[in-house]
Amino acid sequence: MHDRLDRQRMNDDALAAALRALPMGEPPGNGWQRLAVRIARERRRRLLSRIALPAALAAGVAFAVWLPQVRRAPAPVRAVAQQAATNRAAIADVAALRAHSQRLQDWVRTLDREGAPLDAAALADAVSLQNRIGLIDLQLSATHDSSASAALWQQRNALLERLGLLRLQPYSVAMQTRAARTDTTVL
Amino acid sequence: MTPSFQQHIEPEWLARLQRRDVAAFEHVYRRFERAAWNLALRLSGRADVAQEVLHDAMLKAFERAGQYRGDAPFWAWLRKLVVNEWLMRLRRDRMQLFEVFTDSLADDEAAAPWAMADSATLDRALNRLPDTARAVLWLYHVEGYTHIEIAEQFGRSVSFSKSQLARGTRRLRELLHMDKNGEDASCMIGSIGNA
Repeated sequence: MHDRLDRQRMNDDALAAALRALPMGEPPGNGWQRLAVRIARERRRRLLSRIALPAALAAGVAFAVWLPQVRRAPAPVRAVAQQAATNRAAIADVAALRAHSQRLQDWVRTLDREGAPLDAAALADAVSLQNRIGLIDLQLSATHDSSASAALWQQRNALLERLGLLRLQPYSVAMQTRAARTDTTVL
Repeated sequence: MTPSFQQHIEPEWLARLQRRDVAAFEHVYRRFERAAWNLALRLSGRADVAQEVLHDAMLKAFERAGQYRGDAPFWAWLRKLVVNEWLMRLRRDRMQLFEVFTDSLADDEAAAPWAMADSATLDRALNRLPDTARAVLWLYHVEGYTHIEIAEQFGRSVSFSKSQLARGTRRLRELLHMDKNGEDASCMIGSIGNA
């Protein structure tokens, strides 16, 4: 009985040794690069979902308030009123949007000056956002139509908000990490 | 030589990883990439699956590093993530080849063919085992898991682990005998339920 167990143990040891002696494989060389792309994509997706959802909700609320008012007016009056309202709103909007844009830009500049350094993926995102803002500035300088201007200012403001949030990300991650440490378990 | 997970990670890197610092993550990734990839390769038997398991497990480590409290060594925590990730994939994809375990060469005391087999032959035989049996064999003999730990990981009983180990060992013996005698082992892999 003991002999049998001894033989089996020796066989097990021999198998373990043979398995451990198998040569190591080499993982593909670009593993980290591929993973870094995945991280950047994931972060972008999360950031977009954080901005897109509130924006869609706000647009939905605004539409819900505006639609019943338009429906109450008779058709011809409604068309004229709508056009006039659109023009007035567009001009007022452009001024308001431009002022808001200035405030956002000051905010981003302050974050740039005082904020934590960005990691490589976030830095790439920030550069991309700044490029897009520059492109919109070019388009704004060539546009005289107030409706088109309003749309461009809105895009500019949305990009500035994203840029600001990107700058704030290290703080929010740190806060999340601290919160997670207090109430989670390991293994 | 099998790559070892058992590497010490400096507290500074760990602290930075827990703050989700990408540079620290890259450092940890590069330190453990080879060991984790090789473990995933041995569990799955496929290089493409090993790469996906490695990345999914590493991303989980990055996302959950804040939850790591240091009760166990970091490498053990990371290794567990790799095994978990592979098990999740196994359950999702039902990758394992179901096999009839024939007990014709059931004598566990017979001379061990792995002692004589070269590494390529052993490697080939190992990859022909059903996924579950291969993983149990590897975790038990190479990674040093106990039957209790294997049972916990698989969500099964201790006797499941023991049975998979015994049957996997027996099948490995058969495959190595067949390889030695020039027989075609693939015909033995059937489609009847796993043990």
